[in-house]
Amino acid sequence: MTVSDVLLTAVGLVAVGAALAVVMTEHLVRAGLWLVVTLGAIAVEFLLLRAEFAAWVQVLIYVGAVVVLLLFAVMLTRAPIGPSPDLDRPLGPALLVGAGTGLGLSTLFVWVFADRQVAVPETGSAQRLGEAIFADWVLPFEVLSVLLLAALIGAIVLSRREGAS
Amino acid sequence: MPELKLPDIDYAALLPMLILFGAACVGVLIEGFVPRSVRNMVQLVLSLAAMVAALVFVIRRAGEVTAENAATIGGAIMIDNMGLFMEGALLVLGLVSLLLFGERTLERGGAFVPHAAVTVGSERDREQAVDSGATEVYPLALFSLGGMLMFVTANDLLTMFVALEVFSLPLYLMCALARRKRLLSQESALKYFLLGAYASAFFLFGVAMIYGFAKGVDFRAIHEAVRGSETSPTLLLIGLALVAIGLLFKIAAAPFHVWTPDVYQGAPTPVTAFMAACTKAAAFGALLRVLYVGFDGAKWHFTPVLGAVAVLTMLVGAVLAVTQTDLKRLLAYSSVANAGYLMVGLLGGNKDGLSSTLFYLVAYGFTVIAAFALVSLVRDADGEATHLSRWAGLGRRSPLFAGIFTFLLLAFAGIPLTSGFMAKFGVFGAAIAGDQTWLVIFGVLTSIVLAFPYLRVVVMMWLSEPGETTPSVSIPGVLTSAVLGIGTVATLLLGVLPGPLLELADQASSFIR
Repeated sequence: MTVSDVLLTAVGLVAVGAALAVVMTEHLVRAGLWLVVTLGAIAVEFLLLRAEFAAWVQVLIYVGAVVVLLLFAVMLTRAPIGPSPDLDRPLGPALLVGAGTGLGLSTLFVWVFADRQVAVPETGSAQRLGEAIFADWVLPFEVLSVLLLAALIGAIVLSRREGAS
Repeated sequence: MPELKLPDIDYAALLPMLILFGAACVGVLIEGFVPRSVRNMVQLVLSLAAMVAALVFVIRRAGEVTAENAATIGGAIMIDNMGLFMEGALLVLGLVSLLLFGERTLERGGAFVPHAAVTVGSERDREQAVDSGATEVYPLALFSLGGMLMFVTANDLLTMFVALEVFSLPLYLMCALARRKRLLSQESALKYFLLGAYASAFFLFGVAMIYGFAKGVDFRAIHEAVRGSETSPTLLLIGLALVAIGLLFKIAAAPFHVWTPDVYQGAPTPVTAFMAACTKAAAFGALLRVLYVGFDGAKWHFTPVLGAVAVLTMLVGAVLAVTQTDLKRLLAYSSVANAGYLMVGLLGGNKDGLSSTLFYLVAYGFTVIAAFALVSLVRDADGEATHLSRWAGLGRRSPLFAGIFTFLLLAFAGIPLTSGFMAKFGVFGAAIAGDQTWLVIFGVLTSIVLAFPYLRVVVMMWLSEPGETTPSVSIPGVLTSAVLGIGTVATLLLGVLPGPLLELADQASSFIR
């Protein structure tokens, strides 16, 4: 076990712990802030795996944009902010589903990959990512912009109140 | 720094998709610059022209498919015979259902609400009742159809996932835009969106599992990994199950069908017709490709499971259709049951199964679009009167439309001389040839059960006295008449002279890996 293994495990535990806190806390805003910790920890995992570009994208997009968007949504829809016990569900079924999925997946991955050597490709530098996106996956990438356009139009159609009649 | 190598792009092969996406973008510009009074007409003509142009390029491509030129843009898209047939079928069915979008004579301003965000029942809501409806539905429908074209020709799971999102998102949006019964419509859109997002997540998770198994997401890599891998098949089976859940949700197979009745009922009827015909065809096109091209090596694993799903789908659809009192919900459950029959053909696992499934998709599409066109005609002051009791005695009031609807229902029931009979005959025959007789037994039994709700509607229309509340049948405009005509004639022709389409489907039933 090397240093990087230990670090990976430790940061992974932080990520999982924070993720649990996201779903357990009664405060919506605190859930959003715990999410920052989770996503940040995942960014650190990327760094430890030497995928710097993915790590910084994770920080910029998820920790930066998505969480801010989430907090904005809470601000716009659920002010004043306090604990919201009405959002909680009984613990039993949640534990069953959560623990079941988590343990099931861990067992599966350990079982499948434990005694197998997987050749790790070159680390995820910006250049390699760019090549993958613009050479191998250029069509899905371009079509995603179509999806965004459709979503934009849809948002306008659904939310517009006054038309120029 | 080394040069970036771009993949070869065969624009001629991609043209149908590009035309649709391009026309949708032009449609967005039209929203901004063309005056409101003529916008509906301009948008309708543009959309129809785009679809016809795309169809022309699909047909022109028909004879030129070879193993060398089928895959393009780095292997992301595979335009083989099967893909071309599905593209053509989707375009034709989309064209017919788009005519319903343009209908403006049945109701002032059309079937879509102008401002979806206005509070239901408010002063402003009553004011907008006479406003011209939202014309953004045309670009949205084109985006959706373009996504479907990509969905049925996708050659790897990642492209397929992106296409799934591109065609689903506009559908969720369009569901929320009904002019009447708006709360129902909004509820249906939200339900569809949330459940659809779940299904997409399942699909994506499955793709990740399969990547772990096959070290690739394109179907050739998956095929080779399935045949020759020493990895334990657990990952493969879990991945395949999750991907299948995502696709079964879209084809409305039980137990992933719960959204269907609510969404079919709440969505504007033209959108319902579009979904019933095109979404089903697109999702089956993709399911066929995934199972026949990627995972045919795992046939012995998935056939029993999917067979059980097919039986459950047929049973749930048929039994629950009996209990329905709303015509749109009845047609929704019938659509669930039909997904089951289509799966019977698919699980035949042979070339006949493939071609009969293709035939079924086209035949069912025409019939269901015409049926929903007729539902949009029977209306009172509150919009469409879809409750079954309101249809009592309709045969006395307007024998022509009641006659057409009777014919369409008989086609759903699979009476000879209709396309429904030929289609069911085809899929059941293929399943027997593929040693799946147990599926056929359930298929025939549920067909008998399913005939009951159809015949009940027929009996109500013809043998009951028209009551005080029996609504009148609106005189359809040119567009709805055209849809009714095309749908009914196609249902009859495919029942009497199925030869040409069968032959076409037979030629199309080959994949290139």
